[in-house]
Amino acid sequence: MRSYIIKRLIYSVIIAWAILTITFILLRVGPTSPVDRYILNIAAKGQDVESVKQAIEARYGLDKPIIEQYFIYMGNLLQGKWGWSFSASMPVMELIGSHWIYSFQLILLATIFAIVLGVGTGMLSAVKRNTKFDYAASFLSFIGISIPGFWLGLMLILVFAVYLGVFKTYYDTRFPIWSLENLKQLILPVITLGTGELAGYVRYTRSAMLDNLRKEFVTTARAKGLPERIVIGKHVFRNAILPLVTIIMFDLGSIVFGGAYLTEIVFGIPGLGQVSFNAIFANDYAVVVAVTLIGTFLVLFINLATDVFYTYLDPRIRYE
Amino acid sequence: MVLLLGCAGPQAEGNFIEGDVAGGEAETLNWILAADASSFGYVGYTLESLATYDNQFNIVPRCLAKDIEVSPDGLVYTITIRNDLKWSDGSQVTSEDYVYTLKNLMFSSWLNYNYRDDWEEEVDGQKVFVTPKVVNDIAFMLTRQTVQPEFVYTLYDLTPYPKYIATKYEGNVDAFTQAKEFNELSYTGNLGPYKFKEWLKNDKFVVARNPDFFLGKDTGAPFFQEYIIKMFGTSAVMQAALEAGDITYCGIEPQNVVKFKKIDRINVYTVPTRGYNIISYNQRANGWEGLRKREVRQALSMAIDKDTIAKKIYLGFAEPAYSFIPSSSPWYSDETVLKLGVAPLNNKQKAVEMLKAAGYEYKENGERDVLLDKNGKPVKLSLVTTPGSDVVESMSLLIKQELAGIGIEVEVKWVQWPTLLRQYMMNKVQGSDQEPRYNNGPQAVSEEPWDITLMGHNTDPLAPSGSRVFFASDGGLNSFGFFNDNVDALFKKIRSKNGLDKGDRKKMYSELARLISEEQPVDFIVYTRANRGFQNNVKGIEPGINMGYNYHMWRFE
Repeated sequence: MRSYIIKRLIYSVIIAWAILTITFILLRVGPTSPVDRYILNIAAKGQDVESVKQAIEARYGLDKPIIEQYFIYMGNLLQGKWGWSFSASMPVMELIGSHWIYSFQLILLATIFAIVLGVGTGMLSAVKRNTKFDYAASFLSFIGISIPGFWLGLMLILVFAVYLGVFKTYYDTRFPIWSLENLKQLILPVITLGTGELAGYVRYTRSAMLDNLRKEFVTTARAKGLPERIVIGKHVFRNAILPLVTIIMFDLGSIVFGGAYLTEIVFGIPGLGQVSFNAIFANDYAVVVAVTLIGTFLVLFINLATDVFYTYLDPRIRYE
Repeated sequence: MVLLLGCAGPQAEGNFIEGDVAGGEAETLNWILAADASSFGYVGYTLESLATYDNQFNIVPRCLAKDIEVSPDGLVYTITIRNDLKWSDGSQVTSEDYVYTLKNLMFSSWLNYNYRDDWEEEVDGQKVFVTPKVVNDIAFMLTRQTVQPEFVYTLYDLTPYPKYIATKYEGNVDAFTQAKEFNELSYTGNLGPYKFKEWLKNDKFVVARNPDFFLGKDTGAPFFQEYIIKMFGTSAVMQAALEAGDITYCGIEPQNVVKFKKIDRINVYTVPTRGYNIISYNQRANGWEGLRKREVRQALSMAIDKDTIAKKIYLGFAEPAYSFIPSSSPWYSDETVLKLGVAPLNNKQKAVEMLKAAGYEYKENGERDVLLDKNGKPVKLSLVTTPGSDVVESMSLLIKQELAGIGIEVEVKWVQWPTLLRQYMMNKVQGSDQEPRYNNGPQAVSEEPWDITLMGHNTDPLAPSGSRVFFASDGGLNSFGFFNDNVDALFKKIRSKNGLDKGDRKKMYSELARLISEEQPVDFIVYTRANRGFQNNVKGIEPGINMGYNYHMWRFE
């Protein structure tokens, strides 16, 4: 197992390096320039666009050949220097360091919300198959899957913040992360981000549970006189959870790369999604490469963690 | 008695929260490195410039002790600053700081100041910087070798760096870029109504009341404890925040103005802006050859109804444009411009006649006649613009419809901004080793052919000659290929000793606006108006084109 993990970690570093190199080259050879967004502002001031472009590129070393820029960047990276964000005017790591917590708390709470409610409802739905509860859960989960998160967020703001005044219309960073006020203001974003996943988990859990409920070992367990609680919790759910773990881990990767960003936009949460999005539009190469690299490592780690978790859930699984 | 008078004035209370959407956030507080307008705006809360202007374009001194003196020959500018300006360490801000900022930072080769063009002049074919010189502690001079009457407006915007800090970083661009003092504005002393407190990117910029502000000695200004700029991901949520009372002020989109005007506790002010929209006609070799004829350009502009655009698309929050000089500018002259696109010069029948007079024929094709090019083929123009804006989309479709009315088919192409810049606006002489630029001379063409582009621009109402970048033959953004000696001569004349007399300058601007409106290298569509929504307990606002000029006097009541 240990050698498997070490091997996977080495692969991860190679994959991350390859992605970093590809991202770096694509950004540099692409048709965009950090100056693009300023052109009309520069023109309104009666300036020569080309001379401003040259000035900016010279200041940030973007006028050097790409290969030279690449080796400078890699050299700095090996020394732990991730570069300077010219769109945020601070070191890249400082920028990421001051924003990651906002994404992390949102993703963590939304994932817990979706797993606890989604898996719980899915289990009950399967056990109470073809009852009113099952029909209601199925109906609501279809709605949950269909509603775009962006729209749901706007509607929640309109109803609960504008009309009812229960919440603020936006996320307020004045509240400490570990405070009840912060927890309260995360309720709407967590619902927005977690609803789609929650609905999905209800469907997947119900389906996986029903598959296992029909298996012979369940009949055997019941015939042995085991209490229903044990049959469902220990025998059925334990076997149903394996495919669920794959789906949950996959969803976690999608949230990190997409879902959380839209929720951050709607509620004004200054997380990494917003940082990377704005960096892309500003052609802030150093930030784009850094967040791509972090995202890559995160997904590689999630994959590795999933594989390791399998061995715990199903002792028959062995890695050589 | 003095105490009683002091108590009678407004007291500083509450936090003013301004909403802004994500794209409008500043990039740096180290202003000399900035290329975006927002960065200068953010720094302005803590660091006043030499002067600003009010809604009637009257100059309002800030750090200036008196207005800038210009020598009769227009070559020497003497600037006298106030003697009560202090840096954060308590030392006096002197003319030496200003001259140092100019000579050692803005004019240096190591720092690459973006807007150095403002401070250069062409002498014997060479670009040289103006010459700054200290006169005494509070006065300095700038000497030019050539006359540029609008140079004074550049001077009004000047802010200094503290020499005692900047010398530590001089010559090292990385160290200067990353200097904590400059990125946290910790040097600004009593130079602005607020002091920097916090900046969390993509979230908020916070400045706190500066009790030592040099303009607050008598008035007690500013009157907010904190001024906060809160960033929103979408304008819909930002406006919901205004409606819910979570923020104090934000811009309101035209379609929401009626709704906000019905809310008692919100005041909506409609004000002119510097923004306008234009349709550029490609007069280069890869555009339709008809666009190289003035009569054809006039006919096309005559067919596009500007009133409809102003009323139906902008819902009345725009006015027809005829020139790069807005009607709010002191240099605008209504009499001379050709008002194409507005009755009586919004006339499709007349436009058709003009096209026929220019040598083009029509062919019957079902219900509508079709314009034919010189080879007898139906004229089909491509309109290139960027996606993502309902207004631009509606305008593009309206232009398509209007030109269809004179027998011209228009194909709308939506391309992203970088693509528009590189494939359509940048050009080079085919087969040459030129680097693509936005104007590589009359023979240059863009990578992709195009006929019309639709874009938004900004102008400077006080110094509109900056628009020479678009309309002069050597203009750096003359991507549509308009070359006219008379226009070049007038731009040159305005920026010479002939323009020193304001009356003469206004006549020259009138003539220039007339010439450009007749030549129609572009069709000026509309000047937009902005709607600003405030909670109604904010007092002291003077609505107008520069309504924030007195923001330090705003207060809650």
